[in-house]
Amino acid sequence: MSDLFVGKLRALRPLAVIGAIGVVVAACGNGTSTTPSASLAADQTLRFPSDSDIGTLDPAQINAETDVELYQNLFDGLLKFDDTLKVIPDIATALPTISADGMTYTFKLNANAKFWNGHAVKASDFIYSFSRSAAEGGNAYGSNFDHVVGYDVVSKTKDWAHNQTMLSGMSAPDDHTLQIKLISPWYVFSTELALASAAQVIDPTVVNTDDANWWSKPATAVGTGPYKMVSYIPKQSAAFDAVPNWWGSPQPTVQHVKIDFIADMSQGVVKYEQGGYDLIGYGGMGSDTPTADIIRIQADPTLSKQLKFVNKVRTIWVQYAFGPPPSGSGRAQSVFAGDLESGPAHDLRLAFSLAIDRTQMVNVACANGITCSAATGGLITKGLRGYVGDNSDPLAKFDLTQAKALLKSGDPTGSKTKNLTYYYDPNKAIYKATAENVASQWQTNLGIHVNLQPIDHAAFIKNYTAHNYVLFREGWQADYDHPQDWFDNLFIKGGGSNGGDYTDPKVEALVKKADAEPLDAAIADYNAASKQMMTDAAYAPLAYFKGEFMFKPYLIHAGSNNFNDFYWNEMQIGSH
Amino acid sequence: MFTRGSLLYIGQRLILILFTAVAVSSIVFLGIHRLPGNALLNERHPDPAAQAELLHYYHLDLPLAQQYFLFVGGVFHGDLGESLVNRSVQITPLLLREARVSAEVGGAAIVFTIGIGIVLGVIAAVRQNTWVDYVATTTSVIGYSMPNFVVASLLFLFFGIYFYKWTGGTIYYNSGWTGSWGTLDQIVVPGFALGFPYASIVARLTRASMLEVIRQDYVRTARAKGLTDRIVIIRHALRNALIPVVTILGPLVIGIVTGSVVIENIFGIPGLGKEFATSILQRDYNIVIGLFTFYAIIIAAANLLVDLLYTVIDPRIRY
Repeated sequence: MSDLFVGKLRALRPLAVIGAIGVVVAACGNGTSTTPSASLAADQTLRFPSDSDIGTLDPAQINAETDVELYQNLFDGLLKFDDTLKVIPDIATALPTISADGMTYTFKLNANAKFWNGHAVKASDFIYSFSRSAAEGGNAYGSNFDHVVGYDVVSKTKDWAHNQTMLSGMSAPDDHTLQIKLISPWYVFSTELALASAAQVIDPTVVNTDDANWWSKPATAVGTGPYKMVSYIPKQSAAFDAVPNWWGSPQPTVQHVKIDFIADMSQGVVKYEQGGYDLIGYGGMGSDTPTADIIRIQADPTLSKQLKFVNKVRTIWVQYAFGPPPSGSGRAQSVFAGDLESGPAHDLRLAFSLAIDRTQMVNVACANGITCSAATGGLITKGLRGYVGDNSDPLAKFDLTQAKALLKSGDPTGSKTKNLTYYYDPNKAIYKATAENVASQWQTNLGIHVNLQPIDHAAFIKNYTAHNYVLFREGWQADYDHPQDWFDNLFIKGGGSNGGDYTDPKVEALVKKADAEPLDAAIADYNAASKQMMTDAAYAPLAYFKGEFMFKPYLIHAGSNNFNDFYWNEMQIGSH
Repeated sequence: MFTRGSLLYIGQRLILILFTAVAVSSIVFLGIHRLPGNALLNERHPDPAAQAELLHYYHLDLPLAQQYFLFVGGVFHGDLGESLVNRSVQITPLLLREARVSAEVGGAAIVFTIGIGIVLGVIAAVRQNTWVDYVATTTSVIGYSMPNFVVASLLFLFFGIYFYKWTGGTIYYNSGWTGSWGTLDQIVVPGFALGFPYASIVARLTRASMLEVIRQDYVRTARAKGLTDRIVIIRHALRNALIPVVTILGPLVIGIVTGSVVIENIFGIPGLGKEFATSILQRDYNIVIGLFTFYAIIIAAANLLVDLLYTVIDPRIRY
């Protein structure tokens, strides 16, 4: 459904292109941004709600999807993703020139690029911005620069704002040339640079005046993007205006963007129906529309045409503990640990996975598949590179006969599966619903009673990353479209979010090889690693998330890909 | 207006409010720091050094006692710190702005509570055992029996969706505040939802109190003097009938303040009530502590105000 939707929007691209040409012509003529044509609404103000306030718009700190969706319209990096998630030049004039050894990246910068305060963007600004992110962004995406020479020194710099140490691997032969040296080949680097997070350029002359709070005030939230902040009332509203004579393209047609921070999306949906909002789902709100509202809207012949679903980049699964209990944790030995490819523990893991009827789970837990779909193609979400293919994951099959046989072999006396507890965080309705459904299926299908233990999200995260659970809900939201993001964080020994402490030397070797290869060549190795994990029955897949959006029919080129909303400056508001 | 005794009383109560605020914030501070997890955790496992730096930034790496003294010092200077979730957002100005929003909605609720409650109560008493009394009493019972979140959800549903086209959008809740003050269409519906259940209590109390007062000798005397019914009721009966009503105003104000947590979340009003729920769910400790402190001050101050109102309504009461 999402592909169809994206396809439909692509069909509207000629309109956007024509609009963009019009804008350029108009800009050349009078030096100001475009005047909407007759087919466009006179008032080019885009309004939408968000149930989440801005956490930060500082590239060194930005972490949350809700922030990134706004941020990507205010700041630019060297590279960016287009709407089809292809990496394209942003302030760089072209994709980087990469040295033969894969360790030196050279970028030529667009000489016209400037911040909205008029300051021209210089290569040294990127050195400052990246170094600052590397130093202050360890809690966010600063580690994206961990392959840049000098990262070790900069990331350990205390109080960087007053002790500005630059990444020694970055240099600026002139104002419009930037060279970045890596410690080893790292073909994910271009993707990491395109990610709207740590790699956007900021104006040192502004940021140095107030390192902690510069981003939150319209006067100092200075970026190079097509929009700038004009008002921000914490927890209430934010407003952004198009930057006059913006250096890039397409020139923004939408002149004002107004966002209300509301309590929950039900209120937003009601106001959307009343004409108070132009769309629902932007700003990372694609999964926040209550299911009851979606069902109601689906029954409405007019509104249902405005409702769109897009596969989003989040997968959830059941994870088993593979490692020993952490000392002092009080956790029991895991009955699922060991026997990677075969043996009793392997059979037990496989039995638990094959006993789940995912069609039933999706129907019950995701309102007949409205909010999620069964994860049948590996853990990397459908639509992303590294997705293994529909129904390719043997762990996602529902095979009760085999599950019962495996249970007999894995736990002949039934002693291992007594008193098991499944931990989950009930903060998202889908986590609770899937936990209850899966436990009920284990009881019905295998005769195993698994206790359910809801834990508040923050405590849950703390405990599972500390390996304190034997059986628990795990999940991942991709940071960017590269399998490395999944494997290095989740399935490699020491991976920060490898809550199950899973490790398989075969997977480790494949991932290590793939990480050092260009993406096209690496995909085969990442897929082999995914299949090895299936052989290991390393997890029990559950669901891929979907995002729900509503767009008024008069919006032109509004939409979302698997990761992000389409850029605001590509959008137009048609007459209505 | 104020005697030396009453000024002394007010002074004592203000000192008590200060101690209450410090005591409440201390209990919440110590309690909340016992909870596992914090707002800085996320699925993307942070670099330990960066995590340590963040903890240092928020003084969370200091011993609890030291954190506590820093916090109390801040409270005395009116500085409740910075949000853990929304970086750079200072809590004191945030809560002051949100308090203004809540006061606006709460004020509307109090107007409804007192206005509707007293009018219904008086009419029911004056027209005792007529259909007017039955309608007023039944309305009160309905209001008294329905929690404010039920009233709010129904109003939201009816005026926001079902009756929207019929009313032409003149009566509905318009979500999305863009300034410090809401517009009339943003206040009326939530204000009514918040105040209606309490209005019913006031109506029942006023009716009972009025029935007692209008049978008093001085009311009979007033009538015998040839005064009109309106003057007898408004000038002679109502004032004395209001004393028991004022007695419950304290708890009612507290009910409205706490009820705003639910109402503001249902209607998405950016006030203290909405902040209360979101900051707890997000484990934004600093805001949670600040909010509890704020609420303690508001409730204590409301009680003081009601106590002072007694002296206005009943001159026999002196402090």
